[in-house]
Amino acid sequence: MRNAELTRTLDRSELSSYLYRMQNIIRVLREAKGLSQGELARDMDVSRQTINSIETERYTPSLALAIALAQYFGKTVEEVFGREA
Amino acid sequence: MRPDPMHEGDKRLKASHKSWWMNRWFLPAFSIAMGLGMWGAFWAGGDPTGGAVSFAVMAVFGAIFFFGGKSATIRGMRGDGRDERWAMIDQQATAFAGLAIITATLVGFGIEVAHGRDGSPYGQLAAIAGIAYLLAFFVARWRS
Repeated sequence: MRNAELTRTLDRSELSSYLYRMQNIIRVLREAKGLSQGELARDMDVSRQTINSIETERYTPSLALAIALAQYFGKTVEEVFGREA
Repeated sequence: MRPDPMHEGDKRLKASHKSWWMNRWFLPAFSIAMGLGMWGAFWAGGDPTGGAVSFAVMAVFGAIFFFGGKSATIRGMRGDGRDERWAMIDQQATAFAGLAIITATLVGFGIEVAHGRDGSPYGQLAAIAGIAYLLAFFVARWRS
């Protein structure tokens, strides 16, 4: 479903939605691992506030950090980030 | 061989942390140096008391930056706690400050010209701002 959706061309409004309304499941994955925001931040070499901002979807991480977070939890970027993450 | 995007990205993240000025010492030292420079300038202009006040203000800022390391905001500002989000915040704050200065300069230029003067020094400052913007714009375009 998601792959099919991603492979078709996105129109402008859909693209905006992807860019500005990126959701994620970082909090769920972090809590499942029993980690605090500070511990995840230390492992990712970012500040605790940055992890909090990502979890509350006030900040969309760079591609590098998104990949690092996905790899950290053994997931793909698409599984962690997206409109239906 | 295809580069590993994670590895490349990770290197970039690490590199952004390693700028020479990103430590707890630089910003406090810069504040003190600025204060000393201002004190010297005031002194040369015959107002050492005003210079001392300026130095004191800059020294207070330096002390806040130096001893405020418990705050993530202070660490993000001075660089030793900076990550990509703090870098973005710094860019936005810098852009806003630049916009404020440019606006004030243009308003000042307009007022000076309206009073029949030549617009100095606002015209020169506005020219510097415009040239700096164009240079930065084209350099950023060339690099990206």
